[in-house]
Amino acid sequence: MNTRARDDERFEREALVWLPDVTRFALSLTRDESEADDLVQDTFLIAYEKWDQFVPGSQARPWLFTICRNRFYRTEERGRRQVQADTPELESLAAAAIHASAQQAGLEQSFESAEVVRAVEAAIAELPDAFREVALLVDVHEHSYEEASEVLGVPIGTVRSRLFRARRLLQEKLLVHARDAGIGQRATGPDTRGTSR
Amino acid sequence: MKPMLDCDSVMRQLWDFLDGELTEDRMEAIREHLKVCKRCQPHAKFEESFLGALVTVRREHSDPAAIAKTVRDALKGRGYSVS
Repeated sequence: MNTRARDDERFEREALVWLPDVTRFALSLTRDESEADDLVQDTFLIAYEKWDQFVPGSQARPWLFTICRNRFYRTEERGRRQVQADTPELESLAAAAIHASAQQAGLEQSFESAEVVRAVEAAIAELPDAFREVALLVDVHEHSYEEASEVLGVPIGTVRSRLFRARRLLQEKLLVHARDAGIGQRATGPDTRGTSR
Repeated sequence: MKPMLDCDSVMRQLWDFLDGELTEDRMEAIREHLKVCKRCQPHAKFEESFLGALVTVRREHSDPAAIAKTVRDALKGRGYSVS
């Protein structure tokens, strides 16, 4: 077997095995299957071209996600805005305060409903890019902080602060959705306001 | 015996804990706290449900075989030799 064939075998084993994961990530980024198809194809063509730059023994999944993410933002020509986030600990504490309101709004009992899943999807899509991509990587595609740090090219501390801010923003958005949709009233029975005598 | 963590410390590290990103000692300390703390338990449960809801938005491709074929065909166009 020549060198090229050996490299291709290794690409097959180490890179193409992640095709389903990269496809799901591309779908999350684009929210459009046709665009995701193009993005996945581009990702693997770039990976194949750069395969000699991939360090043997390192993880191919974060490397492929990095290519996919960079390709997506280049195609979209999206501005990479600077974002501010509070310290991760403050974000965690702020989220604790949201819990009480979420209970009142009946959100906690409705997390598995199709309606809330749709609301979660919409809320993620509305996040600023820097928060959205970290939420997608860690919360939706279950990367570790270290892997997300590698994909995004930022320190782990930045991953944590952006992730925790993203989660708090999502909870706030879902809370507004739950209140607007009257989820709590439905969860606790029929609304009898205005019917008492 | 180590003193139990206070609620404030647990709240500050709850997401790291749920993400499995703490040292094993710290993970264990938080697990122990959550077993007995009636104040933190409901909050931890809420955050767990919330994180569970986020995973559910992961979408599958409607035709995984088609996208796999598209990628392989494109690679073959660049000389890829594995079929």
